[in-house]
Amino acid sequence: MNIKGVLTVFNKEIKDLFRDRKTLVVGILIPFLIFPLIFGLMGRGIESSTKKVEENLKIGVVDKGNSSLSKFLKSQQKVTVIDSQDIQKDVKDGKVYVGLIIPENFDNMVNENKQVDLKMVMDDSSQSSMMAQGSLGAMIEAYSKEVVKSRLTSRGIDPIILTPFTTSIETVSKEQGGFTKFMMSLMLPLMLLMYAVSGPLAAAIDLGAGEKERGTLEPLLTTQTSRMNLLFGKFFAITVMGVIGVISSIAGLMISMKISPGVFGGKGGLSFPIPALVIMGILTILLTMVFGALELSISIYARSFKEAQTYLTPFTFIGMAAAYGTYAMEIKNVSLFLFNIPLVNASLVMKELINGLFNPVHIAITFVWIFVYAAAAIAFARYMFSRERVIFRT
Amino acid sequence: MVEVRGLSKHFKEVKAVDNISFYISPGEIVGLLGENGAGKTTTLRMIATMLKPTSGTALVNGYDLIKEPHKVRSQIGILFGGEVGLYDRLTARENIRYFADLNEMDSKEAEKSIENLIKLLGMEEFIDRRVGKFSRGMKQKVAIARSIVHNPSVMLFDEPTIGLDVTSSKIVQDFILSCKGENKSIIFSSHSMQEVEKLCDRIIIIHKGKIVEDGTLDEMKTKYGQDLEEVFLRLVGESR
Ligand SMILES: Nc1ncnc2c1ncn2[C@@H]1O[C@H](COP(=O)(O)OP(=O)(O)O)[C@@H](O)[C@H]1O
Ligand SMILES: [Mg+2]
Repeated sequence: MNIKGVLTVFNKEIKDLFRDRKTLVVGILIPFLIFPLIFGLMGRGIESSTKKVEENLKIGVVDKGNSSLSKFLKSQQKVTVIDSQDIQKDVKDGKVYVGLIIPENFDNMVNENKQVDLKMVMDDSSQSSMMAQGSLGAMIEAYSKEVVKSRLTSRGIDPIILTPFTTSIETVSKEQGGFTKFMMSLMLPLMLLMYAVSGPLAAAIDLGAGEKERGTLEPLLTTQTSRMNLLFGKFFAITVMGVIGVISSIAGLMISMKISPGVFGGKGGLSFPIPALVIMGILTILLTMVFGALELSISIYARSFKEAQTYLTPFTFIGMAAAYGTYAMEIKNVSLFLFNIPLVNASLVMKELINGLFNPVHIAITFVWIFVYAAAAIAFARYMFSRERVIFRT
Repeated sequence: MVEVRGLSKHFKEVKAVDNISFYISPGEIVGLLGENGAGKTTTLRMIATMLKPTSGTALVNGYDLIKEPHKVRSQIGILFGGEVGLYDRLTARENIRYFADLNEMDSKEAEKSIENLIKLLGMEEFIDRRVGKFSRGMKQKVAIARSIVHNPSVMLFDEPTIGLDVTSSKIVQDFILSCKGENKSIIFSSHSMQEVEKLCDRIIIIHKGKIVEDGTLDEMKTKYGQDLEEVFLRLVGESR
């Protein structure tokens, strides 16, 4: 192996891959667009229905007695109270978000200290209706408290006896964006693992089996360059394509966090400390190399594009399985043993880093293992490239 | 010069090539004639160091293919039949240049060699266009240029005209004759006696991995009679 020979192969493969529209679309454009698209649509839906209800809460009311409750509702800001003839129909048609049926003798009953039965009408298939129902419930609750207060005061009792305790909540994570962090610790390892697997895939198929199918492998092997130059030139080109794929999918995720923050639980932007970012970056690149080498080994064994695709599709599931396996795992008390399991360890370390945990032992174990996997994967690729049975498989 | 000494290749039980020996002198075109599966491709692949012989060896311009495979590869060029095997997304020049670089030529050398080949093969019009949309004849020229860009003194042709139309076949045959003019040692494999008869100085008939006849056209004609097609059929039929 020599650097010049490796570079010759690398340069040619990169040039070739970048001229392939299919590789660019599958490897770079789709990973880049997928998150902004998905979250953009999801975010738009959630945000728009929230906004509509917040700006103008339309309540349909059946109130023959023109009660004090409906006057109270009318006095609230951003609320429109509409008298309704057929309340079920109006809610169903979306003319109002939610309906309220107030008995005719409401005020009398309240004055006589009797319990009044109110009915809310909602459409539980509509996001807006459910939100509106929540708001209406809160308003009724507030009015009910007013009523209780005045009853107690008229009897000379301090209303404070009804609230013996007050509670307030303090969160442990000091920074803003705790929810964003939670979402990220679920999604980022999943994504990075999946892209470490699928990022190099298209290039690996093209540079291994593709070379056989097009009949270019044999002429290549007659040149003076060594098989190891061919292997490493291809391997680095595949790694670069894989890493570009990972980067574009992360860029896509960052952008979608910017344009639809609602989905990620608020505006509080997420900033990782630099060392965490660097470790996650290196981890992902190493994993991409591991999978790139494995995929290339199998691709060179395959006789055609089709065959390579068949052999390599299961790889994507392996990545997903590991990520899903750790998806719901509570990182606070993970057993050390898990850091010896391929992929699971990488996923867990990423989760820790996202949550601001920096455990040198976990990181060290994981890195040692990944170097072992990388060395093994490259050794496997070397073995495959030097076997006549593989290269000239018929 | 190529000197093959007791070369064998076994794939499990199959003796694809079974202890063959022959030699080729500079300026000589030798036809390696045999049916499908006779062992032609395996023989040429071993000489090109793509496959390791089970036993035996060959010397290419004095370099031993077992001990100095890298040196051997610097001496030979190969042209395969069937698919031309070019990179569609690269231009003709980039395709040829890639092989010049892989053969460890320096930049000046490579450029000069490519310019010569452009003129020789008449590729001026399409040299900087991507290969993907080329006609078969154009692709054939690029494949030829690629096989010889590093100016090897030994040329191996493995059924190079298989599946080619008349025009493309002519391009290849003219190229083989021009190699002879440059005093290269040439092996040309084929399953057609007609084609071999037209181009070759000497014919080696190979059957089931063994050489069954080796001689010049004249020697064969005096030994067997004028109809060499008939001779070929008899020879490969005999040992069936
Ligand atoms: N890579 C291989 N693995 C197993 N058997 C092979 C391989 N290559 C060739 N053979 C066998 O060796 C014999 C000679 O094949 P080959 O050299 O391709 O013949 P030819 O080129 O004369 O048609 C055939 O029986 C073929 O099936
Ligand atoms: Mg053959």
